[in-house]
Order: sequence, then C-alpha cells, then structure tokens
Amino acid sequence: MNDVTYLAVAYLGMVAGIAVWTWTVFARSKSLEEKIRSLEKAITNDESE
Amino acid sequence: MRNWGQSLAIIGLTGAGLTLWLGFMWAPSVSIDAFKAPEAQRIFYWHVPSAWAAMISFTTLFIGSVVWFFKRSEWAWRMHVASTEAGLATGMMAVWSGCIWGAAEWGVPWDWTDVRLNTFAILTLLSLYLVLGRKSQPDGIETRDTFSAFGMYGFILVPVTYIATRLWQIRHPGPVVATSEGSLNSDMGIVLLVGGISFSILVIGHIISGMRLTKLQMQFEELQAKYEGAVK
Repeated sequence: MNDVTYLAVAYLGMVAGIAVWTWTVFARSKSLEEKIRSLEKAITNDESE
Repeated sequence: MRNWGQSLAIIGLTGAGLTLWLGFMWAPSVSIDAFKAPEAQRIFYWHVPSAWAAMISFTTLFIGSVVWFFKRSEWAWRMHVASTEAGLATGMMAVWSGCIWGAAEWGVPWDWTDVRLNTFAILTLLSLYLVLGRKSQPDGIETRDTFSAFGMYGFILVPVTYIATRLWQIRHPGPVVATSEGSLNSDMGIVLLVGGISFSILVIGHIISGMRLTKLQMQFEELQAKYEGAVK
C-alpha cells in the first residue's frame, strides 16, 4: 500500500468511529426522552381514571 | 444542561471537520527525506487531538470515580459512566490511527517495547472493561465502588503515558509542542491547535451528553417501576 492509502484508511476508520459514537449517544438520548414522555402520559392517564 | 452537551458536540464535530480540511488542503507537506511515508504524516492532525481528548476523558473518569467513591454523589457516577464511553471512543481512534501510521512509517503497526504505546493501550482497554463490565453487572453501590476503584487506580497511567516519550523514547515520536526541542512548522501548529480545541469541545460535549443520558436512563427506570406498581 502507498502512504495515501494508509492516510485514507486511518481517516475513514476515525470518521466512522466518531460518527457511530455521536449517533449512538444522540439516538439513545432521543429514544429515552420519547419513552419517558409516553410513560409519564400513561401514569397521568391511570391516575385520572 | 438539556442541550448543552449536544450543542458542544456539534461545535466540536464542525471543528474536527475544519481540522481535517486544513490538514489536507492547507498544512504543508513534510520533507520526503525526514519521513518514509510523508503523506501518511497527515494522520497526525486527528491522531494527536483524539489522544488528547482521551486524556481529558481519563481525567474526568478519575474525578468521577474519586467523588463517587468518597461522596456517593450521583453526578459523579454519571461522570464516571460518560467518561468511560468517551475514553473508549477517543482512545480507539488514537490507537487505530497510530497503528495505521506505524504500519506506514515504521513498517509495523505496534511495538510491544514502547512504553507510550502500551500504557495508552492499557488505558483504552480499561475503558473497554469498564463499559462492558457495567453493562453485564446489576447497578448497585458495590458494583459502582468496584468500577470506581479501577477508574481511580487506572489514572496512574495518565501521567506515565504523558511523560513516557520524554523519559523513554523508543518508537513513538517525542513531543513536538510545549517543549524546547519542538520542531513543528507554525502552519502545522495552527492546524494542530484547531484540532486540539475542537476535540476538547467535542469530548466535553459528549461527556455532558453522556451524563444526561445516564440521568434519563435512571429517570426512565424509576418511572417504569412506578408504572408497574400502579398497574399491579
């Protein structure tokens, strides 16, 4: 491999790593917020019945 | 704290993108006589900042671990959790890019006799152990104490890693900034500075987001228990 290929492989790996890491944190956060909202709604509905 | 973490992470990502662009389009090439793989040297513009970000994570891991251990503070535990994930991600980035550069420049991706490489790898493996270990254990004071103890003692390797190339320069290059022997071209220094600032903002944003995530997780579990109690 020439050194430009090494450069490309290194950056592709790091870009993929940073993207997966960020996406995972943001997506988990969004998913938990939605779950909390629906649970709060369900609890409020139960209490009012 | 709601969107602070995510906003900082996005600013950090933008800066990391700018660093990449400057590293490829603006920073000068190194001498072809000084390097076996001169183009691969540009790996350094993300390798050094990601290693720096990992050091920030290992430091916040230490702070979170100590405060949890002695004060039983919930925010400190959240900091411990977020820092292990940040340390793992940035540590893996530094190890990956270092191995690729080593393969290009030295002809081997790793040197088992080099102190800097090995202490940094142990720190990254410690983060991996803490992330995986926490997922496989039920949450509780004993579990938190055990993982915090690892977070505290593991920090010993941070100053060792930092001074390793000053004391025992075996394979990893010595310091090029913050030293009297620094030989870094000023344009390269600017790109590296942009990278260092960007990755610092990125990792701090991620740690704040991770702390919020753990808080949401706990809130969700409490609500779930309340809901199940109400249904019964």
